[in-house]
Formats: sequence, C-alpha cells, structure tokens
Amino acid sequence: MRFWVLAAFAVFSAVPASAADFNPPIARMISNYIQPAMAEFATTADRLPDAVTSVCSDASPSAVAGFRTAYADTLAAFSRIHFLRLGPLLEDDRLSRLAFLPDPRGIAQRQIRKIYAKKDAGVGAAESLRDKSVAVQGLTALQLIAFDKESEVVLGRADADRDFTCAYALAIARNVAAIADDVAADWEDKDGFQSVLLSGGPQNDRYRSSQEAMESVFNALVTGLIIVRDQDLLPALGASEAKARPNRFPFSRSANSIQYLSGELHGLQDAVTSLELEDMTPSDFHWIFAALDFEFGNAQKLLSELEPPLRQTFGQGESYSQVTVLAITLQSIRDTMALELAGALGLAGGFNSLDGD
Amino acid sequence: MSRTFKTVSRRSFLAAMGSLAAAPVFSRSTLAESLLNREAADGVPLFASAFRKADGAFGIGIVDDLGQILAQISLPGRGHGIAVAPDGSRFVAFARRPGTFAVVVRPFEDSRPELITSQPGRHFYGHGCFSADGRLLYAVENDFRAARGVIGIYDMSGGETRRIGEFETNGIGPHDILLSPDRLTLVVANGGIETRPDTGREKLNLDTMAPSVVFIDSRSGDLLAQHALDKDLHQLSLRHMALDAQGRVWVGGQFEGSLDEVPPLVGVFSRDGAPQLTAIPDPVASGLRNYIGSVTANAGGDVIAASAPRGGQTLFWNSATCAYLGARTVPDGCGVAPIDQGSFLISDGNGALSLVADPAAPAEILARPPGIAWDNHLFTLGL
Repeated sequence: MRFWVLAAFAVFSAVPASAADFNPPIARMISNYIQPAMAEFATTADRLPDAVTSVCSDASPSAVAGFRTAYADTLAAFSRIHFLRLGPLLEDDRLSRLAFLPDPRGIAQRQIRKIYAKKDAGVGAAESLRDKSVAVQGLTALQLIAFDKESEVVLGRADADRDFTCAYALAIARNVAAIADDVAADWEDKDGFQSVLLSGGPQNDRYRSSQEAMESVFNALVTGLIIVRDQDLLPALGASEAKARPNRFPFSRSANSIQYLSGELHGLQDAVTSLELEDMTPSDFHWIFAALDFEFGNAQKLLSELEPPLRQTFGQGESYSQVTVLAITLQSIRDTMALELAGALGLAGGFNSLDGD
Repeated sequence: MSRTFKTVSRRSFLAAMGSLAAAPVFSRSTLAESLLNREAADGVPLFASAFRKADGAFGIGIVDDLGQILAQISLPGRGHGIAVAPDGSRFVAFARRPGTFAVVVRPFEDSRPELITSQPGRHFYGHGCFSADGRLLYAVENDFRAARGVIGIYDMSGGETRRIGEFETNGIGPHDILLSPDRLTLVVANGGIETRPDTGREKLNLDTMAPSVVFIDSRSGDLLAQHALDKDLHQLSLRHMALDAQGRVWVGGQFEGSLDEVPPLVGVFSRDGAPQLTAIPDPVASGLRNYIGSVTANAGGDVIAASAPRGGQTLFWNSATCAYLGARTVPDGCGVAPIDQGSFLISDGNGALSLVADPAAPAEILARPPGIAWDNHLFTLGL
C-alpha cells in the first residue's frame, strides 16, 4: 500500500507543462505492432478452414494434430490482438464474434446445447452463422464443439453429430478467418481508423488532441493487463487453493491456457515497447521501462515453469503459488503502467476516475 | 386515463426495446438468445447505466443479470443518473451536469424516447426520482443565476411530460435525490459546489461551500430538516445516497480539500438525529483519494456498498451496526446496483460488469462488452 500511495503521488507531481505530440508513438505502434500482429492473426486464421475440412474428411492422427496446431496458432495470434479494443475490432461486434469472453456462466455452452437440440442448420454456413448470437460464432464456440473436457480433439470423430459438428466448425472457421481478414485490412487502410487515431485535434470529433488519442490507446493496454489478471487468472485461483478452478483458465479446454496467457503478455509488452516512449518521458521516470521489462520477464518465467495442460496439472507442485505470484506481478505491471507511466506522460486515467460527479 | 400497470412479458419488452436500440447489435447480441432462450425469461432482473462508446457516442445500456447488453438507447450527450418509476414502466435518464436534457423511456410501449429540455435559467444536475405513485418526477436542477438549488417537478401522468413547479433545496449544487420510505419526504444531498454554465464544471466556491442533506415535504416543499457536517468538513461535498433497511440515509462524499488529508467520506443521516460518520480503516482510506462515486444498499438494505473509483475499490458496511465489512478491488468501478438477495453488480469504466456476492471473495467479472465504458451509476430497473 505504501507503494500505491507513492505511485498515486507521482501521478500528480509529474504532469508535463506543455502539450506533447503523441502522434509519433501512436504511428509507431500502428506500423510496428498493430499491423504486423493483425496480419499474423489473419494468416493463421486463414489456415483454420482447411484444417477443419481435413480433420472432418479423415480424422487421422496427422489431421487431428494439424487441426490442433491450426487452432492453437490462431489462438496464439488472437491472444496478441484482442486487447486492441479500438476501431476495427469493435466494429460490427467483431471482437465478441471472434471470442465470447468472459463467459463465467456458460452462456455459449447453453446456447450451443440448444443449437444441437434443434439441429439448427443456420450454424452450418458462415453467412447464416453471423446472424446468430455472438456467443456461438467464434474461437470460444469452436473450442466447445471441437474439444472434449479432457482436451481431446473430437472434431471429425464418428458419432451421431459428426456431420452437423463439422459443418458448424467449418462455418466458425470461415467466419473467424473472414473477420480476421477484415480487421487486418481495416488497420492497413490509410483512410480508415488509423487516420482518425492519428489526426487528434480540434477538427477531429473523436479525439480532440493527440493526447486524447494516446489516452485511448494507453487505456486499451491497461485494460488488457486488467483482463489478464482479473479475468483470466483470478477466477481460476478462486478464494483459496482448495477452491481453485483450473477449468476457468482461458482456453483450458483445448490445452492452450499457458500459451494464450503468454501471448497476451508478450503482445502487451511488445505493444508498449513499440510506442518508444522513452524520449517523451522525463528522465526521472526512465527507470519505468527497465522495470516493465523486468516484470514482464518475471511473468513469462513464471508461465514457462507451469506444466501444460493447466486444466489437468494445476494444483500440482508449486503451480498454485506460482500463479498467485504471477497475479501479484501483473498487479505491479498494471500499477507501473496506469499510475507511474501514465503520470509521467501526463495521461488521464480511467473514465470514472476523471473529473467526477 | 387508466393508471393500471399492464403486466408485459419479457418477449414484448424486448420486442419494444428493439425499436429503441441505437445500434443493430440487438438481433445478434446475446440478449436475443440469452434472454429469450432462458428458461424463465420473465424473472430476469434488468439494469440500466449510462455509457460512453469507444467512438465517443453516449447512451444508456440495458443489461441482464449476466451482464449482457439487451438494448441501447442513444443520448444526445453524456448521461448520468436514472430515475426509475415505482412500477418499472418508465425510466428517465438525465444528462450529466450541467446538461440540459433528460430522456423518458417507456420500454413497454412501442414509442420513441421522449426528450425533455430543462427550462431557461435551469440545468439538470444528473439525478431525479419519482413520487410513490409514479405520477410525478422530481429532478435536481440549478437556478444558476441565483446560485440556488431547486427540485423541478414534472407531471408524468399524461402522454407528454410537463414541468408544473419547483421547490427550493435550500442549498447549492443539489446532486442525488431520493424518496424516503414514508413516501412523502424527499431527501436531497446539496453538494455545496457552485458551478455556472458559462464556466462549465469549474468549481467556484470551494472556500465557502456548505453542503447539507435536507429533508423536504414533497407536498408543500417545506424544509423539514437540514443537516450539515462539522465546519472542518465543510469541503466534503455530500453527493450520493442510499436508504438502508431502517430508513436511514447513507451518504457518500467527495472531499474538495487537500489530498494530504484523509477525512471520513461516508455518513449516516436521518431526519431527526445528528449525522454519524463512518470510519474507513487505513490503509484503505488513504488509497481512495477522498472520492466516493456511488452509494447503494443491497436488496435487504442490510449491507451498504460505496464505490471509490479513484481508488479502484468498492467498500461495504453492515448498515445495522455501521461496521465496516471490507473492500473489493474493481478498477475504475463506480456504478453499483443490488442483485439477487444480498449481492451487488458493479460496472466500471473498462466495460466490465462484476458480481460481488461476498465482501470477502474477489469480484467475479460477468461480462466486458467491448468498446463500452460504463458511466458512474448503475440502476436496477426493478421489474
């Protein structure tokens, strides 16, 4: 708590006097992080439909492994972009359609059960799937129908629902690939959202200054850190070790939790790094960048020491305390970003914490 | 004119709300399926909050108890509080101060929202409440030429809302207002801060501010009681309120003095007794930056929750004993509404809706609709 108080103090004591131009860092993040990460997501997602077709025509061990890899690769690429909750990913409910998260009460599972109960043919084609609930359209839904609780691939297995599931899975794969392509293309479009983000000023209805644009980018990164800790880790940790719920780790059903968490944190770190904020930050605060690298490194080390698949191994050995330490590390990273770095740059924080009422 | 409230099923409610939806997410949102497909759709509690979208648009979102957005209503500017009619048939969303609009939504009727504009010389302060019979709406307003807080009285019984009069709040900067359990007394928190439309949200009288909680007869406008804190706390702007099971008023404040001080922020008021301040233990207190955002009672009125968005904490008290129960972390959490028997739903500026069922367990994030920043207050639609 002492740390917290000092950090809060920093926010108020370090506001730069003059308005800085935040367009250069935003432009660097777009070209050096967002565009390549979106392109990678589109590339991996584009391989998903063929992998579904292959395992559905013959569920051979190699086809099963091929699907598992294609799904894991798409998820890994998705983990690096989902926190970019700005512009293209928000249009047309794309983010919720790509993955319906969080879903602690199993809305998707319930809706999918109903789809199966009435054999809803509408989920068998990408064009009609996109008019269904967002919860049944994306990577989270694909995980529910393509993997069982023991993390085995069931897609393509000879059972009564095989053809229905295969058609549904292919529709999801095509839907995800199409959305990924659209998002990547929109971020490449020079006249698209990036032109709004990079033209902050009095004439811009959305961002009245480059600082406002930067605040929305920065807030997305902080929210991303909140998601990893509060949404991805804490539900699995539960109130105590005895109440741990490993199946609440994201994408644990497909045995991708560790890779997904690692991808989120690598993505967030790379996104922050791509801003190259050192030159804009008063020298008193340059320690922040080394501190962030150190803490992100600690987080990755903790993740690398966990034994996959987490759904099956969590609770063994030191895993519970390691994830507990990981959560503390993420809190520290968030505080460093949201309090210290934001303060050093004179950026405003949360919506409700601002000029209040 | 019939005053009978028609029981309308969830399906027709949703059908009607569809016409109000600001964005075409409705057909595909999980509402359509999550609620219509839910086993007992007619028992689902609903909540409403103002929001800002990532594209800068403002509106009101209606969410279910799983945090899924069922409908969105566009607002001409940033919203704040919502007054819900006692029978749940209507609600009124107010502009954030110093806004001049309010929007009446009649979700059971297939009608467009009705836009109300504050009358010349007045602006809204962001909160309001209904009379017990639902016929009148009381809105806190600023008579800014006289720097005088007023309660605008609106007749809601006809097809169109009409302003029929006003009462004095006997203070500056009235903020929250509620109807006490006797169904006749209005309680107003006079925040004490003077602002004017030409200087926006600039605070003009921090040295002399004198906040108070007043009890006003809703029939006559007579001042029944007025309570202020000790002089050394005159900069604690008394702003948001909730009623507990005993009918006492819990009030959360925002301290306008030095951040080096750690004054009490939550007090308990009643018409005939002296205000009682609650203690917030350190180190929690020193992390709140002297700012309470919302105050809410649970369904039974035995637990009070107060959000402190600048500290990222929501605090809980046992209302009978005034014992502090603890705090849960919700980053930028501000809106708090009762849900289920003893739990709270908390909305935050990062889009999350979190459930706190037990002050001793972490908040559970139910949903985080992308691109939504929930604004300040969350209300139970009481259906």
